[in-house]
Amino acid sequence: MSQTQTVQDAATDKGWEPRIATFLCNWCSYAGADLAGVSRIQYPHNIRIIRVPCSGRINPAFLLRALQNGADGVLVSGCHPGDCHYISGNLVARRKFALFKELLQYAGIEPERVQFTWVSASEGGRFAAVVEKVVEEVRKLGPNEKLVKTL
Amino acid sequence: MTPSHEIEARLRETAEELLREKRVDLFLGYEKATLPFRTTPLFLTSPEEVERLAWNPFCTTNLAVYLPRLFKAPASAREAERAPPLPTVAVVLKGCDARSAIALVQERQVPREKLVLVGVACPGMVDVRKAERALGEHEALGAGEDALGNIHVVVEDGREVTLPREEIVADACLECRAPTPSLPDVLVGEPVEGKDPDGARRQTDEFASKTLDDRWAHLQDELSKCIRCNACRQACPMCYCKECLLDQTRPRWVGTSTDMSDVTIYHLVRAFHMAGRCTECGACARACSMGIDTRLLTRKLGQEVEDLYGYRSGESADVLPALSAFDMDDAQDFLTEP
Amino acid sequence: MTEKRIPHTDLDGLLGRLRERGAVYAPARDDAGDVALTQAPLDDPMVLEYRNFRLSPKAFFLPQSQTLLTFCDGEAHEPSLPDGETFLVGVRPCDAKALLALDKVFLDGDPPDPYYARLRETTTVIALACTRPMSSCFCTSVGGGPGDGAGADVLAVGLEADLLLRAQTPKGEELLSSVADLLADATDDAVKEAEKRVGAAESLIAPVEVDNSAQRLRDGYDSPCWETASQTCLGCGTCSFLCPTCHCFDITDELRGTRGRRVRTWDCCAYPLFTLHGSGHNPRPSPKERWRQRIMHKFRYAVENLDRLFCVGCGRCIRNCPASMDLRTVLRELGA
Repeated sequence: MSQTQTVQDAATDKGWEPRIATFLCNWCSYAGADLAGVSRIQYPHNIRIIRVPCSGRINPAFLLRALQNGADGVLVSGCHPGDCHYISGNLVARRKFALFKELLQYAGIEPERVQFTWVSASEGGRFAAVVEKVVEEVRKLGPNEKLVKTL
Repeated sequence: MTPSHEIEARLRETAEELLREKRVDLFLGYEKATLPFRTTPLFLTSPEEVERLAWNPFCTTNLAVYLPRLFKAPASAREAERAPPLPTVAVVLKGCDARSAIALVQERQVPREKLVLVGVACPGMVDVRKAERALGEHEALGAGEDALGNIHVVVEDGREVTLPREEIVADACLECRAPTPSLPDVLVGEPVEGKDPDGARRQTDEFASKTLDDRWAHLQDELSKCIRCNACRQACPMCYCKECLLDQTRPRWVGTSTDMSDVTIYHLVRAFHMAGRCTECGACARACSMGIDTRLLTRKLGQEVEDLYGYRSGESADVLPALSAFDMDDAQDFLTEP
Repeated sequence: MTEKRIPHTDLDGLLGRLRERGAVYAPARDDAGDVALTQAPLDDPMVLEYRNFRLSPKAFFLPQSQTLLTFCDGEAHEPSLPDGETFLVGVRPCDAKALLALDKVFLDGDPPDPYYARLRETTTVIALACTRPMSSCFCTSVGGGPGDGAGADVLAVGLEADLLLRAQTPKGEELLSSVADLLADATDDAVKEAEKRVGAAESLIAPVEVDNSAQRLRDGYDSPCWETASQTCLGCGTCSFLCPTCHCFDITDELRGTRGRRVRTWDCCAYPLFTLHGSGHNPRPSPKERWRQRIMHKFRYAVENLDRLFCVGCGRCIRNCPASMDLRTVLRELGA
């Protein structure tokens, strides 16, 4: 049995648990998540981290794809403005994110499903707190039924 | 409002002159189509054929859609060596089409110096579907324009019907804020004012005031008509990507089926790629044979870009497009804070 | 060949009887005012006055998305084929005739397509003769006509007070005998009236030169007209997707983990992706080759290989093309 299968079945056995596809930039947010880990800060295990070179690398189609494939929520995190390893990747991304979030909400998708934030490499605590908040909010919404594709 | 036949005569004169003096290689305009309420794009290369050029209330196609393919970059260095020199192209543009052409120049898909923008002050074009619906079970055999700009139709039993222009003009034309092309090289016709420039805002406000689930239900209902033919994408001058994300197969981002998840994501992706780029010509909506309101989402994104970044697509060739630019102080109240 | 008639007032009774047997799709007006084949509720009377539906009925036989099989952890499962009956009422003769073309592709092959075969088997087509053809219609030039019942199981002709029903196939015979109590025998007057009405409709249809199209297209393969005609093509799939005979499809495996499905979806020769090779080479690189393929397939290759035109003259591609292209123009040019 495949790993995905195991995870899915485990979820159904114990009742539903939200799954959050989490896109972290390599330079700040991924290091922030790492710091949370090495500092032994507890946070919900509902996230699945995908490392990307920069938040500017995020094509909103990635986020839609995650939701279509069964993620209940999506979290994207990059460097704080001014800290981007590539100077302005996150600033260009910020416009995309603002519009994308607005588009989804306008189209009738709960805004809490797709969330964006900035976490620096030294903010392990902030990372854990954001994850906790996102997981709680998505848990309140229930499973993603609007964009998910049933195979 | 300048009568159509005068505009048509001016366009023919202009085309004749440009082609005869060899100032352009190609003149892109409209020609009467085989069915009423329609025109078909005309690629004119000879000054002898200018009589084919037409101007009437049915010139709906946004001709800017043909520009990127005329200036397509060679795929390889070897191809570049053999490539013929770039053509000089004159193109007939309404207000919205002119914005598309400018946006293409901005995005460096088309060299401005190779274009002659022949702008026409546009009184709003007829939506074929609205016109045909207005006739009910009757079929038009011929259609023209009367002195007031209303549409004069002869139906199959020989009767004549007049359809008020306002009632059958395309939605995008009703909402148009700048029907007179900005920045043309030649302007034909007296400048025209927009009919209901606040209409677009009103519609988005109304839609936004529905509940989240009502909005979703409406969108699903609308998109359930989609047959995935890609006409909305193909008719759009701004959809020029060499390889569309929706066509990629490794990975296949969006399935080709009519599963509502695939259909919805198709439309979300298409709309999002239009953010800050859509010039609100309505070509997508008119191209849709299923009558889907394809502008529902793009209209909103255009307004968001204007509100957040003070930018409207296709208004100036020199500024950076909104989504290629940024400001340190851009709003970020949408972010999640712990 | 059984010929019967039924008063308009008894049509709802007929539809009711069909509903007892299976799913019935009949013409009904939608919210936007278009008449479409709809699985309408019982109390909606059937609409008889319409020209043709926006969508051709081919999706009932070749669904736009069709799951061919599902798989899970290395095991494939065939989906169960539908077994209930379906009745399509009010299909126009051109669209019914298109089914004969699709049959050539999906039934005459070895092996025949089981998915198509099943849907064809379980579906009964009751065509309604055209009385008001449109200026984009040219069925009479491509071997059809407003009163042609080929491809349908029953052909109905609307008369002043009745519908004349003519069985076209054994399935149609069976259908008429199963509702015989609702039907009266066709009178000579009714048959004459039907002939007159169909004849009147026929006289309204402008002919298009398609005689010997295969030979003309063979000779015209390198004609410069392809270049000029295709210039305006936007490369969308409207013409193919609305066409009652276009049947090209793509097959995709949709995967998640180790489970997924194999799905068949409509495809279209106007798309560059249709012929794109894995190497990046595309044998039909521009709209010229793609548009030529579309015309060649319908009017030459199909004639050469399957012995019939793959165009029924419904005119949907002409009415709905976003660039208002008209395939009659290119046929005419090649004829000259």
